Amino acid sequence: MANTSQTPASQADATRVARSNDIIICEGVKKWFGDFQALHGITTSVREGEVVVVFGPSGSGKSTFIRTLNRLEEHDEGTIIIDGVELNNDLRNLEKVRSEVGMVFQQFNLFPHLTVRRNITLALSHVRHFRKAEANETAERLLERVGIPEQIDKYPAQLSGGQQQRVAIARALAMQPKIMLFDEPTSALDPEMIKEVLDVITQLAQSGMTMIVITHEMGFAREVADRFLFFDEGLIVEEGTPQHFFENPQEERTKLFLSQIL
Amino acid sequence: MRGTTQIKAPAPFPRQARRWAHDNLFGGVANTLLTVVTSLFLVFALYQILRFVFVTAEWEVIEANRRLFFLGRFPVGEEWRIWPPILLVSALAGLTVGLRTRLDLRSTIMMVLWLAVGLTPVFLFFAHGTVGILTAAAVGLAALGYIGARIWLQDSRYVALIGQLVLASWLLTFPLALVLLVGFGGADTSLGIDGVDPSRWGGFHLNILLAVVAIVASFPLGVLLALGRTSSFPVFRVASTIYIELIRGVPLITILLMAWLVLPDFLPSFSVPVLAPSGLDDIELVYRVMVALTLFSAAYVAEIVRGGLQAVPRGQIEAAQALGMSTARILALIVLPQALRAVIPALVGQFISLFKDTSLVFIVGLTEMLRAGRAVAQGQIEFSGREMEVLLFVGLVFWIVAFSMSRLSQQLERNLGVGER
Repeated sequence: MANTSQTPASQADATRVARSNDIIICEGVKKWFGDFQALHGITTSVREGEVVVVFGPSGSGKSTFIRTLNRLEEHDEGTIIIDGVELNNDLRNLEKVRSEVGMVFQQFNLFPHLTVRRNITLALSHVRHFRKAEANETAERLLERVGIPEQIDKYPAQLSGGQQQRVAIARALAMQPKIMLFDEPTSALDPEMIKEVLDVITQLAQSGMTMIVITHEMGFAREVADRFLFFDEGLIVEEGTPQHFFENPQEERTKLFLSQIL
Repeated sequence: MRGTTQIKAPAPFPRQARRWAHDNLFGGVANTLLTVVTSLFLVFALYQILRFVFVTAEWEVIEANRRLFFLGRFPVGEEWRIWPPILLVSALAGLTVGLRTRLDLRSTIMMVLWLAVGLTPVFLFFAHGTVGILTAAAVGLAALGYIGARIWLQDSRYVALIGQLVLASWLLTFPLALVLLVGFGGADTSLGIDGVDPSRWGGFHLNILLAVVAIVASFPLGVLLALGRTSSFPVFRVASTIYIELIRGVPLITILLMAWLVLPDFLPSFSVPVLAPSGLDDIELVYRVMVALTLFSAAYVAEIVRGGLQAVPRGQIEAAQALGMSTARILALIVLPQALRAVIPALVGQFISLFKDTSLVFIVGLTEMLRAGRAVAQGQIEFSGREMEVLLFVGLVFWIVAFSMSRLSQQLERNLGVGER
């Protein structure tokens, strides 16, 4: 079992997070798919540098929730403000928000017709208008950071699942986002590859990146998270520190779900 | 599943062959009977064909009329207009294949063999004198381009630049061919070159011309229609759907006849330089047929491309959106490259059938190759009754081109297949 006592470093971390501003603000966010209501009014906020882990049963709306944060899903009611910019139908707002929010998907979603290098540099050249040399340098630096610099000229299909997901993380980081969203980043991976991806995410969390991570890897979650959100039926049922959830969960549904996954 | 764990050494060939024959051809009475009957039929058919080709047939009809087959009623003395594009295409084809592919020994041998088989009859029967020299030059240029690209260019520092130059030349080939045919600048000015009256275009040259125009024009049009049909804007969606379903519901011959008989009544009479000097309602039939073939083919291209668009996973678009890419960029850089790659075989199939369909324009009185051949067999007394020879020859020429297209598409797929899931 992981050590639950706080180290001085994470205490300093907690202080820094506590002092920072809210970078994500959600107010009564609701979302329908036809007749089915996926989100029943989500109200929460995330401070700069905070790492939030979201978990809950499938169909609980956790994935829909983080997808509303970069408007891959449009919310129907409520307010979402990302770094001071409200998400609405204004396209300029959308472009600004999307270039500040990086996303990593369960199925990696690398572009199969492009090399790893092109996967990373494509948006840099076309959205950020980097020069070719600059973009290439960024790609090399980030692949170094995720530990696979030698794979730069391969195609995604030539990599293992873990390597592909690390490329996907590098691709998102290349845009220098202020916020990173992870939608079950290790759920599609073979067990032996989960650790290499979680290590990269942990490293990123320690570097002070604001992150929302959907995961059921509770050991990892406990290590990186400042706060847990437990979702069920389109609502945040319970939230609190990792210690709170592991030692003293309040809601029946939380207890039941935790007993099933731990 | 055998119970033995030891791997058996393969049987010597004669025994292997005997076992294969026993298993596949003579297993049981019915099987044996079927084998015997089929063999007899095949031997008979082969005998008939070979006897016709080498004994009965009188191939002088082809040799005597080779000009008619390939050029129709194209004016004598104007052939020089056709050769520059052919020579250019040969050189570019050699260069492109040399630059783009790293053929292994087997495919190189296959290609040389295929060229030898395809070109031998050309040299034996049709390429005498100037035509022979020019044909040899075309083959030589292709070989030179290929070998040159392999030896000097493929590993050169300027390979990207050369590739772009080759691509630009490809794009310029078609306007060049057209300008040489149609003329430019008006014959009466000092710089102008007179053209050849489009109603005199004919033979296999016309088939190729129609096919190239229709393929080059219907591809982008078809892609646009496919995008329209999958668009979220109802106006585009409905318009594209109506167009596609309307065209696909009508036989090509009907559309060709309409281009011939009906279209002039619907067009305004103002004139367009070069294409329709005497007014749009009096535009050359060849151009009307080109438009008809293009519009026809575009509907089929659209449906093929739509299939490709639907095969691109939703996650691809979401990943690009999450990176902040605009809709147009996502389409151009992520969706279309994957969609088109997935439908290369179907697209080439469509283009091959369009190429063969160009023979249908004889219906509206254009002297393409098939029509020219029929005219020979029916109109020239000394060759009356030589229809079989003519049809076999026409079929062979179409087949050589269509089969080459199919091989080319397979090579293209293999080259683009890198990194495919």
